[in-house]
This record gives sequence, C-alpha cells and structure tokens, in this order.
Amino acid sequence: MVAIGVAALALLFIALWLRERAHATRLRARLEDAQLHLQRLEGAFARFAPQQVVDRIIATGEAAIGEKKEVTVLFADLASFTQLAERVEPAILVRIVNGYFERMNRVVAEHRGYVAALLGDGLLAFFGALDANPWQSDDAAHAALAIRAELAAYNRTLADDGLPTIMLGVGLHRGVGVAGVVGSRELSTFSVVGPTVNLAARVQDLTRVHGVDILLTRSVRDVLDPRFALRELPADQLRGVAGKVTTFALEGFEAMPSGPPATG
Amino acid sequence: MIAIRDIEWESCLLPASRDAELEAYLRRELGVVPPMARYLTPCPWIVRSMAGVDQYHALLVHLDQRIVDLIGLVVSEDNSCRFCYAAQRAILRIQGFSDQRTRQLQQDLLSASLGRRESTALEFARRFSRASPLMQWSDTEPLRNAGWSDAAIREIAFVAAMLVYFNRLATLPALPPERMEAISESWWLGLVRPFIARRFRLERGTEDRLSPAECAGPFAYLVQELDGLPAARAIRRVLDEAFASPLLSRAAKALVFAVVARGLGCPLSEGEACELLATDGWAAADVEATLSHLDSPRLDRAERALLPVARESIRYEPARIQRRARELRETLAVEPFVEFVGLCALANAVCRLGAALAR
Repeated sequence: MVAIGVAALALLFIALWLRERAHATRLRARLEDAQLHLQRLEGAFARFAPQQVVDRIIATGEAAIGEKKEVTVLFADLASFTQLAERVEPAILVRIVNGYFERMNRVVAEHRGYVAALLGDGLLAFFGALDANPWQSDDAAHAALAIRAELAAYNRTLADDGLPTIMLGVGLHRGVGVAGVVGSRELSTFSVVGPTVNLAARVQDLTRVHGVDILLTRSVRDVLDPRFALRELPADQLRGVAGKVTTFALEGFEAMPSGPPATG
Repeated sequence: MIAIRDIEWESCLLPASRDAELEAYLRRELGVVPPMARYLTPCPWIVRSMAGVDQYHALLVHLDQRIVDLIGLVVSEDNSCRFCYAAQRAILRIQGFSDQRTRQLQQDLLSASLGRRESTALEFARRFSRASPLMQWSDTEPLRNAGWSDAAIREIAFVAAMLVYFNRLATLPALPPERMEAISESWWLGLVRPFIARRFRLERGTEDRLSPAECAGPFAYLVQELDGLPAARAIRRVLDEAFASPLLSRAAKALVFAVVARGLGCPLSEGEACELLATDGWAAADVEATLSHLDSPRLDRAERALLPVARESIRYEPARIQRRARELRETLAVEPFVEFVGLCALANAVCRLGAALAR
C-alpha cells in the first residue's frame, strides 16, 4: 500500500512538474512573441521620431516633451513646381519628385541633418536638433552645396531620360527653436517649431527674388567656416519679421591648400 | 533593440599581425591573447591597455561580477557593436552561462524583472555610453537613491567608459566580428571553459591611493576623481603611455581629445586638451579656429585628415564611422592609423568619464 502511495505521489509530482514546465514554455514563448512585437513597434516608431526621443517617450510615457535647442534650419523648395506639375503626367511627376526626395534625404543624412518633414515639394531639415552639434552650421552649408551638386547630377539623369529638369531654392537660418514631438493624437512628428523655422522658409522664398539657389542669414554667416565663399545681398523686408534681413548667397567652398607632407 | 547581425559592418581595415613580446605580456597578465590584440600590435600601448584596464583583473573594489557582466551585455548590445556583443556573449558562456541563461538575462533586462538597484545602474551605463545628453555628476543621483555608494558609482562609470573604449577600438578599424561570433556560439567553448574561466572571474581589487606624481599629467582632474580606486592608476598609465607614444605628434593627440570633448559638450576635457596644446605653442585663437571648423593650416596633411574622423567617432554609427575610417586609412600608414584609433577610443572614454565624475 505504501509503495502504491509513493508511486501515486511520484506520478502526481511528475505530472505537476510536466504541466508547470509546459506552462513555463508557453509563457516564455508568449514573452518572446511580445518582445518581438515590441521590437517591431519600436522599429516602426523610430521611422517617425529619433531613437532618443522614442526612448524618452517609452521611459516617461509622456509624448509632450519639448526643449529649447539651438538649431540650423535648412528649408528647400522646388522652383516652378506648379508649372512642372501642369506639364507632365502625374505618374512622371511622382517619379521626378520621389527621385528628388530620395537624393536630398540621403545628402542631408550624410551631413548629419535630420529631415523632419516633406512639405509638398519642399523639404524641412534640422542640424543640431537631435544630438548637440557644435559644427551644425558648417554641416548645413556643406549639405546645401551637396544638394546643389546632387541636383545637377539628377537633372542630367532626367535630361537623358527626356524628362524636364528641376530647380531648387535653399534657405538656411540658425536660431533657437523648441524641439519635440508635435502634432495631433492622429498625426505627430518630431520637429522644431518657432520663428527660426519660419524665417528659414522666408529666406528660401528670397532665392527667387535674388536669382540664386542658396541663401543664408547673418546668424549662419557669423559662425560659418571662412572658407565658404559668400556674397552679401541687399537687405529685404520679410513678412512677419521686424526690420530688414540681410542674406548671403552661398557660392562655394574653397578647400584649404594642401599642407606639408604627412609625418605619419 | 536591434538584430546585431544585421548591422552594416565594413571589411577589416587592418591586417592581423603577431608580436611575440606583446603576446607574451598579454598571456602573463591576462592568461589569454584577446582576438582584437593581433590587429592592434602596430601601436603597443593599445595592446598593453587591454591588460591595464581589464575589469576582471583586480581593478574593481565595489562592484560584483553580475553587475559588471550585465553592464557589458547592455552597453555592447545598445551600441550595436557586433564585435563587442559577440565578445560579451563569449565571456558569459565562459563564465558558465548557457545560451538559455543569457537569453533569460536579456529578457530580464527587457521585462524590468531586475531589481531597482541593478536596473538603475544599467540605465545609467546605457545613457553614459550614448552621451546624448552627456552624463553629469548630477545624473548619478538616481544611483545614489538606489543604494549605490559614490565609490561604486565611479566604478560603474569607469566600467561603462571602458566599454566605450573597447567599442571604438573594434569599430573604427572594423575588426572582423565573424570569428568572435563563431567563438561565442561554438560547441568547443564549453570544453575549454574550465581552463579559461578563471581569467573571466572578477578578481576584486583593493583601495589604493595615488602618489603625488601620479596625480599630475594629462587629464589629471579625471584621474584624481578616481583616486582611491585601482581604476585611477590604470587610466593614468594608459593616458601616459598614449601621450608618450611617438607615432603621432603630441599636438595631434591633444586635438583629437579636444574635438571629441567639444562634440560631446565637455568643457572640462576640452580645456585640458587646450592646455596641452598651449604647452606645445598653440595660441588660444588658433585652437579655437581649428576646433570650430576642424581644420587648420598649422596641421600637416595627415593631421588634418584626423580631425573630421575623430568627430565621427563620437556618435555610435558603425557604418558612417567605418566609411570615414576607411578613407583615412588610405592616407595614413598603419602605425599612426592604429594609434589614431586608440586615441579616438580613449578620448571618447575619458571625456564621458570626466563629465560624469567631475563635481
């Protein structure tokens, strides 16, 4: 009887142990699934906001975070887009614009900028909005020159395909803005808001007035590497801005002559 | 979280080479020759530093094995460094962790089932490594509230800094991670484990004061903040050897530190690097102009190429760092290139550590 009792208890113990093990396995599988799902969500979220913003929102559970930051704003806009839109088929137009955005995004990222928004045919990018960047204005000016070069290459490709070429205006301005996730519950994005951004857009408008492709303000000029070739233009009165604004056409960058031979 | 193996990784920029004397030194000090050592032999101080700042080797007084290993796993994974992550997994296996236990550890990290004390330390180490924003002494308050002593906090920062150091050593020259990944997953690691496990068991150090001579030298403020801990002497030695090495000029070395300090936003380390430049005859205006635009007519062709790459080493983006390092490698001989790699790694560790410890 005792032996039967012991055997029954052992069987019961084994059955319970097996059940617990199966339960633990199921729980582990569910946890791994949940982690995978979380990773995918994080990955998807990271496409709309920088990683450190995502981390901070996850840590605090608070999306309405804003902080003042000194940034350099690059605002680029296609010139004569309306005429272009009227001249070509919608499918061709989308192809041209997508090719343009693809290239511009790459150039901005290569120069440590962050593309915050594509606004119709315009592009809004920030330098120094994510990590502190003491070289943000140099980066933005180099990016603007690289955009010019990239657009020239793109136009050659378009011309080879028998498509109309495009022109671009770029405005650069440096100042303080409020960086954070902005928008409504349905549509939010990480961006910088404030007069600094508006002024960059107005400066971009001035490219048509002065017949140049890249313009920057004095606040950028003051911290810019002196090897950038600039041409001062007459000051303009801009809508919503007190006083006249002096702008400078960015003409190029003169690399320093080669120094003495390497010692290494 | 990222799939580590999906990280873009260049082909290695350095040939593997052997140096019998250095290997004998590492065997004597560590018991093994770390796989990365054979790529860095052209610059002996870097190889020697692998033993000098080895966290398992009587360097830590206040931390236990578990927290050191957890910090290693978290920071290497967060940094997306294939080499360091594989190395960390290999170390855990050598210490007797099965793959399942390592996975469990990672799950614990994700599911917050760690205690508050451990999770606070891990979060600090992760943020320390990212440096966005740069950690300051005031950011260590949560650690204190979670029960860590000031000395233990300094050691946590030191461990995280050394992970940053080894991370850059592996990333800049794109040291091949495949071998390390294969080692970390190999069946035979279990067989050799009993013979090498001792090397990866934390050997506790003892408190130790610096001599007045050791309190001087480059970045003395940082070394003094660590005074009392064995880590102080270890970092003093690495800094002294790095600045005494003849492969790059002293000014180039100070500029690398200054660029990294400026990029991170650490005025203390930038000031220290600027003082070193001043003793080399650099006027403050020249230093400022060089740091503002990462170029100067005072620099020779090789030195001028260093500064933009030093800047790239600050933020952890392996593909970008390795692309720029490849361009630099094409213009530099192997010895100064390896020394530059070591300096960037050291500058990133020292500037982060300096900012976090300075009160």
